[in-house]
Amino acid sequence: MGLIGNAVYYSFHPSELRSIIQWKVWHTPVHERQVKDETETQKICFQFLDKTSRSFSAVIQELHPELLLPVCVFYLALRGLDTIEDDTSIPLKTKEPLLRDFNNFLEKDGWTFDGNRPEEKDRELLVQFHNVVTEFKNMKPAYQAIVKDITKKMGNGMADYCRKAELEDASVKTVSEYDEYCYYVAGLVGEGLTRLFVESEFGNPALLKRPRLHKSMGLFLQKTNIIRDVREDNDDGRRFWPKEIWSKHVAEFDDLFKPENRDAALNCSSEMVLNALEHAEDCLFYLAGLREQSVFNFCAIPQTMAIATLELCFRNYNMFQRNIKITKGDACRLMSESTQNLQVLCQTFRQYARRIHKKNTPKDPNFLKISIVCGRLEKFIESIFPSQSPEAAQRLVKGERTPEERRKAEEDKEAKQELLFIMFVMFIIVCFVTAIMLAFAWYFGARFDLAWQELRQGHLLPPKQTAHEEL
Amino acid sequence: MAADLKNVLISGGTGFVGSANARALAEKYPDCTITIIDLNPPRQHALPDGITFIRVDITSAEEVYDAIMKVKPDILIHTAGIVPALSERFGRRLERLVWKINVEGTKNMLEAAKQAGVKGFIYTSTCCVITDNMDSPLPNIDEKWPTPRSSLIYGESKAAAEAMVLEACSKTLATCSLRPSVLCGPGDYQLVPAIHACIEKWETPFVIGDGFNLWDVTYVTNIADAHVLAAENLMTSKTAAGEAMFIQNNEPITFRDFCLAIWDHFGHIPPFELYIPEGLAYIVGLVSECMTWMTRTATTLSRGSVRDACSVRYASGEKAKQILGYEARVGIEDAIRLSCEDYARRLGIELPSKAKQHKE
Repeated sequence: MGLIGNAVYYSFHPSELRSIIQWKVWHTPVHERQVKDETETQKICFQFLDKTSRSFSAVIQELHPELLLPVCVFYLALRGLDTIEDDTSIPLKTKEPLLRDFNNFLEKDGWTFDGNRPEEKDRELLVQFHNVVTEFKNMKPAYQAIVKDITKKMGNGMADYCRKAELEDASVKTVSEYDEYCYYVAGLVGEGLTRLFVESEFGNPALLKRPRLHKSMGLFLQKTNIIRDVREDNDDGRRFWPKEIWSKHVAEFDDLFKPENRDAALNCSSEMVLNALEHAEDCLFYLAGLREQSVFNFCAIPQTMAIATLELCFRNYNMFQRNIKITKGDACRLMSESTQNLQVLCQTFRQYARRIHKKNTPKDPNFLKISIVCGRLEKFIESIFPSQSPEAAQRLVKGERTPEERRKAEEDKEAKQELLFIMFVMFIIVCFVTAIMLAFAWYFGARFDLAWQELRQGHLLPPKQTAHEEL
Repeated sequence: MAADLKNVLISGGTGFVGSANARALAEKYPDCTITIIDLNPPRQHALPDGITFIRVDITSAEEVYDAIMKVKPDILIHTAGIVPALSERFGRRLERLVWKINVEGTKNMLEAAKQAGVKGFIYTSTCCVITDNMDSPLPNIDEKWPTPRSSLIYGESKAAAEAMVLEACSKTLATCSLRPSVLCGPGDYQLVPAIHACIEKWETPFVIGDGFNLWDVTYVTNIADAHVLAAENLMTSKTAAGEAMFIQNNEPITFRDFCLAIWDHFGHIPPFELYIPEGLAYIVGLVSECMTWMTRTATTLSRGSVRDACSVRYASGEKAKQILGYEARVGIEDAIRLSCEDYARRLGIELPSKAKQHKE
């Protein structure tokens, strides 16, 4: 979209433009990087962060100084791992030990890797990986242990997957395999971050006692991406939708993209959305356990983006034809709404859940299941932010009122009286005008007595003009 | 649970809920002696073998006394009561009758239970004791909610009876009250048939209000499970004594979706949707009431029914879970399917096959 395109688009969507301006002008980060105090290696790490991640870089850089570098290093370590895994030019027998040992490289001064093919986009990160190693070693030992542990688990998970892909079929078949895959690529990140939050006392320790919650945080994001990117992934020869789900709707995965299977494809995608929505409640529960604003923002932004993306994909056939994403205006609005507090965030979640609900149709075999999951989400939000209390209801029954309620009741009463008065005056005027009109008509000879007779005989309309005159 | 239920009496046992209670009890406690007292002899609802039936009019203190003294049950489940038909729900015409059956009937049962040395008294109340007050939406309410000073004749009478039952709780007689939400299931003559009837009347495209108001219905075997759990509780730990508990499926869905799901089972999907604002519908209801008042026919659309269709009503369900360990065994999806299948059988029609229908 060029400049003119943008101008036309925003003149029809002024609220989006407003959101963008609002975010750009009014958003002040809770914490800011102190670039002047940073060492060279730190600066390089942040440069790599910018280069390797579009979506996470900004939120990471607004994190509390205590967590700023650990999260940045954690991200880069996993990105490095990912770069080795993605590179199809590395043979399994080189790749597997690299992945399994990657956590040890984090502690090896000066470790770098230049075995990636030249077209691998994040190749440079590994070529200069010694900077990440330096920063890793500067972190508190407790943080080091967490980052290392997760890197190890993920490295092993990836190695197992590569092995399976080479030796047998690694395609995702059952829903539990799908969950497992998402756990390795995203759920583990959730675990690592949660441990960092709790270690730094920015998160409630109870978050670690309920592993289901942080697992859901990762799975919700990953599943949303997998749903949204189905077309792009399929064009690149990757398939993540579990066979257990799509085989209920089409015979072959490719059939989803054929126009004649439009309804089946929509039903299939809504089953995928349903599967992702099962995690939404856990995500809100998790966010309730965060104690620091920048950490809350960091976690909340991707979650609201995810539910908005699910809403966009839900019963939208475009997702099978091209890449779809939420508009920039919506993204800015979502960011504003995700950087305040849990209550505002819950409202956003409810709003999108209702939009999904509204698009739901009984033609869909999962109609009722989707309805149930939306209802459960509403009930959950109502349970953490009740719209009314039994105490207030008790007062109402007893007829007691707080001064505020009393004042409001009085105001309401006054407003009502005014309205009634105005209506009364209008009525008098109407009567008066009617009387004048009738009087005029009578004066000029209108026969109300005949009209009345006709009406009583049931002739509501004047007699039809016969068309004989022309003859 | 180690409770041993030997002798149970169920009032209203030939009705929808009463017969379900009898079946659930007989299934879990095959050796339990079950006696049913009811005004009507066993009719359309199936009952387990080997039960005793005594014809009793619960508004007659003597008949109730005689029957209970004869049986001397350990547990008394009091489900008998009257639910006014929809056309009478919002009026006050039947007020005296409803009070006589629901309040005085309960009083007779309680008195007789005290005399006969009954150990546990379970009252089948209703969520209407709270939710018949339609002045405000009631999302996620719990048992701390007060009973409104005035609502509808049904809710008022059930609330008065419930208060009496809970008041009567003592060391010798443990009482508790279960408050199921709207019921559905095989043998239901009110909910599913009324919603199904909308298809023929071309009423399905119209949505009153925003269509987001959540309801939580109860499947009939689930409320029966809750009664059995309550009976076990009152015979053992007695943690439920003196308590009222909301019972529901714990899966709130919108009333609109509940209807859509039922219509879909009968092969009907509304061709379009028209949203009618609640205010407008309320006025239409008022006009309709005036018309029915003039023509002296039964009301179908009224202000009350409009508010009924728009109201938000579901409870948290936590208390029953904690005290009784109650959880719905039949989920709402199966509940709707089974209810529709049963109703189709009664109508003598065959439901369109789901699988086929959706493949097209």
